[in-house]
Amino acid sequence: MSFIEFKNICKKYAGTNKNAVTDFTLNIEEKEFVAFVGPSGCGKSTTLRMIAGFEEITDGELFIDGKRVNEIAPKDRGISMVFQNYALYPHMTVEKNISYGLKNMKVPEKEIKEKVDWVIKILGLEEYRERKPKNLSGGQRQRVALGRAIVKNQKVFLMDEPLSNLDAKLRVSMRNEISKLHRNLGSTTIYVTHDQIEAMTMADRIVIMKDGLIQQVGKPMELYDHPVNKFVAGFIGSPQMNFYEVKIQNGKIIFADGNEMSLPESRREKLSKYDKLILGIRGEDIKFDSVNLDLYKKDKQKAIIDNTEIMGNENNLYFAFGGGETIARVSKYEMSRVGDPVDFVFVPGKIHFFDPETENIIEE
Amino acid sequence: MIAASLLFLFPVIWMLANSFKGDAAITADMNSLRAFIPPALGGSFLNNYVSVITSTGFVRYMLNTLLYAFTLIILGVIVNGLAGYALAKINFPFRERWLLIIMLLMIVPMETIITIHFLIIAKAGLLNTVIGYVLPMIVNPFNIFLFRQVFLGLPDDIYEAAQLDHCGPVKYFFTMVLPMSKSVVATVSVFTFLGVWNDYLWPSLVFTSSNLLTAQIGLNAITSNENTTMGQTLAAITMITIPVILIYSFFSKQIVEGVISTGSKEG
Repeated sequence: MSFIEFKNICKKYAGTNKNAVTDFTLNIEEKEFVAFVGPSGCGKSTTLRMIAGFEEITDGELFIDGKRVNEIAPKDRGISMVFQNYALYPHMTVEKNISYGLKNMKVPEKEIKEKVDWVIKILGLEEYRERKPKNLSGGQRQRVALGRAIVKNQKVFLMDEPLSNLDAKLRVSMRNEISKLHRNLGSTTIYVTHDQIEAMTMADRIVIMKDGLIQQVGKPMELYDHPVNKFVAGFIGSPQMNFYEVKIQNGKIIFADGNEMSLPESRREKLSKYDKLILGIRGEDIKFDSVNLDLYKKDKQKAIIDNTEIMGNENNLYFAFGGGETIARVSKYEMSRVGDPVDFVFVPGKIHFFDPETENIIEE
Repeated sequence: MIAASLLFLFPVIWMLANSFKGDAAITADMNSLRAFIPPALGGSFLNNYVSVITSTGFVRYMLNTLLYAFTLIILGVIVNGLAGYALAKINFPFRERWLLIIMLLMIVPMETIITIHFLIIAKAGLLNTVIGYVLPMIVNPFNIFLFRQVFLGLPDDIYEAAQLDHCGPVKYFFTMVLPMSKSVVATVSVFTFLGVWNDYLWPSLVFTSSNLLTAQIGLNAITSNENTTMGQTLAAITMITIPVILIYSFFSKQIVEGVISTGSKEG
């Protein structure tokens, strides 16, 4: 039996006729770091709150460490949680915020002190010990919230968009801190975020949700390289995957703007039976270099750069192609200027094809 | 602003200055600016205060009133606070209708129901007891409303965090909700104190024993006694005013914050 088991979990709010979460089935192993990711309203936070016990489970069963917890009070589920808005107790100092739970759990004073000292030390909060939350920065508050969660040494950590209120730079450093903490503590962690970069960089496995349904579960690179549908392909990766509605005629891909490209040889037979397809390609799989242009020269395409984004380590090139805007990601050495004519190719092995009706991937 | 303040302060200054004078001096100074200047320090300076303190039970009445006020503050914060919390944060059937009823009760003047209170207390055999005085005054619809308005703004995730920290609902109310709502607790406490301190009608109905009387009744007894001098009357009025001034001086910031945070113009 897995450490956390979701069996056909459903959530329906009173007065609505649609499930917020539908048939959520998933197994999470001990010490695993799993991220629930998806757009707003996809049901990821609702699912997390059902694990915490703050939302009633309408249907299905939830097991934590082999015990059914559907009707068990939040405090008895062996979980701790980091909230989006920190939820620190405003009238208590950092030390009291962290020790409050232990005191209520009747842990001996000496042990409380040892644990609080340890947490304050590993989170670098020594000099803020006696401060109240209002006198802390966003990052420090987040650390206190983390401290409050880890000090109790519970079986499961739940994190509900814990970094969403931090600025970009702090988010990166906190991402790193949370990952290190997870490695050091070895706790089972469920992390909810709408930011796919957080999910990709921190999680052992990612659960992508949309409209209350799990779309795909897998390791970050599995999702990135082998998305099961257009939604997952578009959600994971930045810049987003380029999508084109294309026609298939005589073994060729016809784009909306009339440009043509050969169907990849290995997939020609399977794809030829479709009249229309959705073609997807990631920005980094659009190549402008001479080696690739020579290698796939029969499918070479032309465009004029509309816009560029200089990221420092890489550049994004925007150009009109295939009836829409295309974003290509190139190295910092492949800079083009707005108005430059460019030749490019799609790497055939990296092209994804989706059924235009179901939007599911067409397997190789 | 200073001129307006002086306008409001002048009766207080007059009262204070004359509370140290004998009746002859008060009458003599009546039509001059000396009416606002206390007499020189001397042997008879505190005579009025000494006679009020020693020859009447006024200090006792003031202490009684303080005791009633603090009892009612504690009970009022707990009872009205819990009611306000339930109306703000707990889902129960007909919650909004209960709120409406409580808000409607706010427009009912105390005087209209005081007879019913009296009959109930008399029937319960609680006349002339502290419980009989305190009991009908604990629940206050306006205070419930104030608490409810403030508690509405408390973030739910703090309650959820507290739940995970093994904090039960009652402990949460006392260790989290009240400390997080200091302004409204101060506001309600001050309003309760002033209500009790200034109340005349209800204690005059409930209490007949002189041991239990309140300051306002004591003041009335002093002022209506034909042997009481004007100076003694003013000394008693000064004494009864001091706690009110002190309370306002210490808690004016919290009162303003509390009323603002409720979004209410009343109070």
